[in-house]
Amino acid sequence: MRLSRRKVLQLTALLGGGTVLSGCDGAISEASRRLGLTIPDRLNPPNGKEIDPNFHLLSRAGYGPWPGDLERVKTMGASAWLDEQLNPEKIDDGLCELRARRFETIYLSPGDCYEFKNNVLRDDLTRYTLLRAIYSKRQLLEVMVAFWTDHLNINLEKGDCIYLKAGDDRWVVRAHALGNFKELIKSSCLSPAMLVYLDGKENRRARPTDVPNENYARELLELHTLGVDGGYTQEDVYEAARCLTGWKLHQKGEFAKGSVYFDSASHDDGEKVVLGKTIARGGGQNDVDRLIDIVTNHPSTARYIATKLVRYFVSDDPPSALVGTVADKFRGTRGDIRLVIRTILTSEQFQQHKGEKFKRPFRYMVSALRGIGADTHAKSGLVEYLSRMGHGPFQYPTPDGYPEEMMPWLGTLLWRWNFALALAGNDLPSVSVSSEQLASALLPDSKSDLDTDLLIRHFVGRKATEAEIQALKSFKKGNSDLLGLVLACPAFQRF
Amino acid sequence: MEKVSRRGFLKRLALVTDSERRTQAHTLVCVFLRGGADTLNMFIPYADDNYYSVRPTLSIARPGSAGRKAALRLNDHYALHPTMSALLPAFKEGELLVVQGVGSDNTSGSHFEAQDQLEHGESFGKKLGGGWLGRHLYSRSGGMTPLSAVAIGTSIPEALRGAPSASVLKSIDEIKLTLPKGNPQAVANALSMLYSSDVDLLGNAGKVTLDLLHRIEKLKSHSQKPVAGANYPDTEFGAALREVARLIKADVGLEVACVDHGGWDTHFFQGAADGLQASNIKELSDGLGSLYTDIHANLDRVTIVVMTEFGRRIYENSSMGTDHGRGFALFAIGKRVKGGQVIGGLPQLKEAPIEFLGPSGLTVAIDYRSVLSEVVRSLLGNKDIASVFPGFTPQPISLFKTTA
Repeated sequence: MRLSRRKVLQLTALLGGGTVLSGCDGAISEASRRLGLTIPDRLNPPNGKEIDPNFHLLSRAGYGPWPGDLERVKTMGASAWLDEQLNPEKIDDGLCELRARRFETIYLSPGDCYEFKNNVLRDDLTRYTLLRAIYSKRQLLEVMVAFWTDHLNINLEKGDCIYLKAGDDRWVVRAHALGNFKELIKSSCLSPAMLVYLDGKENRRARPTDVPNENYARELLELHTLGVDGGYTQEDVYEAARCLTGWKLHQKGEFAKGSVYFDSASHDDGEKVVLGKTIARGGGQNDVDRLIDIVTNHPSTARYIATKLVRYFVSDDPPSALVGTVADKFRGTRGDIRLVIRTILTSEQFQQHKGEKFKRPFRYMVSALRGIGADTHAKSGLVEYLSRMGHGPFQYPTPDGYPEEMMPWLGTLLWRWNFALALAGNDLPSVSVSSEQLASALLPDSKSDLDTDLLIRHFVGRKATEAEIQALKSFKKGNSDLLGLVLACPAFQRF
Repeated sequence: MEKVSRRGFLKRLALVTDSERRTQAHTLVCVFLRGGADTLNMFIPYADDNYYSVRPTLSIARPGSAGRKAALRLNDHYALHPTMSALLPAFKEGELLVVQGVGSDNTSGSHFEAQDQLEHGESFGKKLGGGWLGRHLYSRSGGMTPLSAVAIGTSIPEALRGAPSASVLKSIDEIKLTLPKGNPQAVANALSMLYSSDVDLLGNAGKVTLDLLHRIEKLKSHSQKPVAGANYPDTEFGAALREVARLIKADVGLEVACVDHGGWDTHFFQGAADGLQASNIKELSDGLGSLYTDIHANLDRVTIVVMTEFGRRIYENSSMGTDHGRGFALFAIGKRVKGGQVIGGLPQLKEAPIEFLGPSGLTVAIDYRSVLSEVVRSLLGNKDIASVFPGFTPQPISLFKTTA
């Protein structure tokens, strides 16, 4: 369904006009429901022993199916669905906008953000991120935003980052998430938030005795491009830091505050040699372009990014053949992220690792809320679960971003279980679920009730195993704890 | 670890009951300073003039200097940062030991590589399976409970990777199963069946979590308030140490507790007696001082070890901070440490001229594994150093007494 802007406005007017956009949760929920954000009347969950391939695609190229998504992929075909996802600008996302657009600080310039209190800025960006993950129809874009957010991690709590990260989210991460890698790195390099987070704004060499600040240059090579085993030396770090001297932030001014400028007096304008390539003296503010060209075109970068993406989409133990193919694609397309991802998601190996990865807390929470068709405005009570599991958005302190693999997250099970039981019991703060509606969509007739097998089929994408049925047999059909236990079971921790 | 079969590993995961657990085990509290701490400004080499010449804005005034916040004298060579008064009694009592020039052979300058290497107990570029504490817990004799190894926080640190069981918690009080309605026992039973039928590490994590729930339930009945004088900082770090003290005092068989303290990556505007690093040092010192007071009655069977991934450069950079260096000062607190002294020196501070540009830092005189080997053998009672640090021959330093 395509929603015209006019239709949205008509409906919102009908529901009380301005109050909707100014933040009345109930009205937004009601408008969403009327505009089609509901559980369909009829769902046909997969019925095979293995996880359904389309379910797998929705779980990895997105945060798992919203009720009805699976039927839609089946009808249009996985390939057409993927094409659609790879061109997010063509997907109408009005329903998500309705919920996420109300956070005004997301759309302001950094200078204006300085006018707001920290907790308003933090809440806005966190809720915006969570709501987009749950409700956006541009699901692949959202999982890529999460990927680059970790790759180019910025902690809101350092320095002025809290005023600047929303701009970084918008103009760096979201703008280039499915674009070109070099452009992504270039915009990140001079992003005000990054200049603060990794001390780039303090990196200067006004006199020969000044020692450059290497913080950003090191992470650029180690984490953002070549990878730690990418073959650079400490000398390369130092030379890269020299290239980047002189970029500063305006500290004052109503509009200028938080914007970037180049101060040639603080720039080291001598000759530099990075990764064996010479950058001639006198390059001034163009040094940064040369540097980014050199590091993003380096073969190690293709390999490092390919490995990381294959780990993210396919397996914690990335198949080396696929990594090779993807790295070739990366080099051949000069870092076209869209084509690289298409290569991964259409590979044979992609379907060979179904249900093997462990959901990080954010994905766990979002996939549960999507699977159950929850109505939420992601207030602090919900965000608290993420914080407690150590996965609060933009809260990771160090530049390597939240880890992707299972092991560091194994201590979060108790919080997942408590979340699952509260969600199923409709007892989560700022979340409302209708398990009756889900039941009536999943059941062929109204006489029976949701049993273990049907719930596992819906939430996991395959038939329940004998062990799952045995473990849950003492619970009555339709019991909310049964639903909670399905969301708490090992299979739903994986994707 | 790589030689161990999967089945063998899973067999090890079997948990023991209370009667089987090790009683009166030594407890190691491992504090990791994330970000590469500038220990040169914690244990001030005030007798070296070079220290003052390479740090024009960042150095700490000599003990007794008038008009400025001066360092707190330890001996003729070293003094504590002015905010570290909480640790002065421990040093005076001979219960605080400082080892200079500790580090790894890692030259990458990467936080993550260096942290991983130290936590895994590896040589540079030689990856081992699991963390050093994980291998210790795996190779030492006797069973485990979920309270044998605990990380305070939200994630399991690399050092505990491969441990037969490790729990992560922020506070003892929040460990409970919360149901809107229904029967918690029936839910716990179902979870137990669901997770025991899972063959992977996830299945074991489920089992450990359920056992933890059960044990904490029993522990909650006797509350453990800090003793008088132990005023933990009102921060996450302070709260973490308070939970460690509760577990120690409750005698639940805690062998390893891991606590992180972050924010040490002071490239920019580090500060000296006041400022960014000073407030971090104060929080660390106040926290450790409170823990020292709180568990002093148990200090004969508790040792606190504080380490970081690398030290920082000797000289300051153009933004009044310090970049990544190499060697650092490791310190340990307890009745078993040969305290009241600073072992090792800072030879490169005496060599002039100091290399200013490009990477440099304090020389690594003692491999971190030599220190940790003595922790494992002397304190934790595990003689199997070859399993904990495969391929490494420790250099004897003699940091600990055989009895308190």
